Amino acid sequence: MSSHREAPEISKDPVADSTDVYAFVSPDKPGTVTLIANYVPLEGPAAGPNFFEFGDDVLYEIHIDTRGHGEPDVTYQFRFATQLPDPDTFLYNTEPITSLTSPTWNRRQTYSLTRVDHGGRRVLGERLICPPCNIGPLSTPDYAAALAQPAVHALSDGSLVFAGQRAEGFYVDLGSIFDLLDLRPFQNLQVYAKALGFTAAPGVNTPKFLNVHSIALQVPVSRVTEAGRPVIGVWTTASRQRARVYDAEGGGQFRSGPFTQVSRLANPLINEVIIPLGKKDFWNTQPPTHDKQFAQYYAHPEVAALLPALYPGVFPNLAALDKARTPRADIEAILLTGIPKGIIDGFTNFTGPVQADLLRLNTAIPPTTSKPSIFGLLGGDAAGFPNGRRVFDDVVSIELRALAGVTVPLVDKSFTPDAAAGELTDGLTPADLGTPYLDTFPYLGVPYDGYDHPAA
Amino acid sequence: MPDVENTGTPARPPDGPPGRAPSRRAVLRGAAGAGAAGIAAATLGGVAAAPASAAARPQARDPRTAPDAAAADEGIVVHVRDAAAGQIDVFRGTTQTRLQDRDLAARLVRASR
Repeated sequence: MSSHREAPEISKDPVADSTDVYAFVSPDKPGTVTLIANYVPLEGPAAGPNFFEFGDDVLYEIHIDTRGHGEPDVTYQFRFATQLPDPDTFLYNTEPITSLTSPTWNRRQTYSLTRVDHGGRRVLGERLICPPCNIGPLSTPDYAAALAQPAVHALSDGSLVFAGQRAEGFYVDLGSIFDLLDLRPFQNLQVYAKALGFTAAPGVNTPKFLNVHSIALQVPVSRVTEAGRPVIGVWTTASRQRARVYDAEGGGQFRSGPFTQVSRLANPLINEVIIPLGKKDFWNTQPPTHDKQFAQYYAHPEVAALLPALYPGVFPNLAALDKARTPRADIEAILLTGIPKGIIDGFTNFTGPVQADLLRLNTAIPPTTSKPSIFGLLGGDAAGFPNGRRVFDDVVSIELRALAGVTVPLVDKSFTPDAAAGELTDGLTPADLGTPYLDTFPYLGVPYDGYDHPAA
Repeated sequence: MPDVENTGTPARPPDGPPGRAPSRRAVLRGAAGAGAAGIAAATLGGVAAAPASAAARPQARDPRTAPDAAAADEGIVVHVRDAAAGQIDVFRGTTQTRLQDRDLAARLVRASR
């Protein structure tokens, strides 16, 4: 998936596992940028008795590079704390939770938010409350209005913040893609599927009816850009303290030492399908400024080599490109430096020559409010991925098409992409979600409740 | 005499042009470095610690967090990374101090048997 359980080590540490990052100029408030980092992948809504939550022992951060050097110029830090008012019940709540102050809500989280920039550290909020998980109609009635919306907090600097459970907004046919890169709409052409007599079929949205935990900010553009530099680079990290002792006598765990990065994410699907298995854990520990060491995997992406092999005869031009060992300068530009001026009329999200995996957003490009394309820049919509990423962007299809060669003409006009390259998809759209996105912050949908999901 | 490396100790002058406010990294490095040098001296008791600057090497990573107020009874984790080489890491609060002390490492090994 975008980055759900994408590396061996982090797949065993869900609360520190970043799954998706979004960065976009807010369509309903174009003077602001919305930044969302999702954690805790694949939450089944029926999760009792221990419902999902953030890690109290994890340092969550959203970083912004405003100067094009791949380093954080602004960082928002989130630290969580769990309260258990009544340790003598086994229940998350003993009566309906009707508000964020319901006294019988028994397992709740609050958080602090700190901004770190070149001026130092500033605490923007403390004891900010998260909403409860969406348990069911008896425990969490009127979830959206009474519990989720009041958990959107206004900060003194004009920003909004939310941290809590949301419906998974990423759509992907995980079961098919990781079954030898089978794309159901084209599986009549896939070598192994064809041998089994499979015919073309619609995609299946694997994370439908699952939830995630989101940390989301809506920040005035001026707070995350520098004058004359509208392009920013965004990424998230999760860090843990270096030492942990399981201390039964002390009643739990003892943690100590500086925080060290265990997870990071910017562009979707990078550690998922670009970085090889033997490097994934290491990639998660590295800062973006060290990404030059991974550039070979962007220049020669494995997916681009697999497509012609798995779909014989469908990608002859891509096969020739791969056989010639032509470095994919298009992929390197899109994902590691941004697209320089002059390549696409009226568009750039270039941050400079430093190769760093950042989600680059040109904040000067206004949001597309009328008929945005889920294919973003490939669909002629410059307000979408890879210019930042909106919640509804079809990043799976966009990246598949780019890797299949659609973007090669950006750097080599003599190359003709294969006809199939521009049609690649796993067969899903936002219509395959179980609940809609929101029109306002935090944009990701109301989480699925555990009473109704899975359905009877 | 043991060497002490503090991973939060400034390894180079604060960056940023003169006349401007110190950079974020400089602010954080300075704060972390000051805190951790004290910890090394306070927690190692009879073990003489060299000045942090004497063995300072580029930090492994920007700690990014404000140093914890060091409580007198705060727990400490000691990791003997390489007993033969005398390489020891001391974790306290949000700091990590690296010692180079073969004698202390040997004493810890003996004490653990």
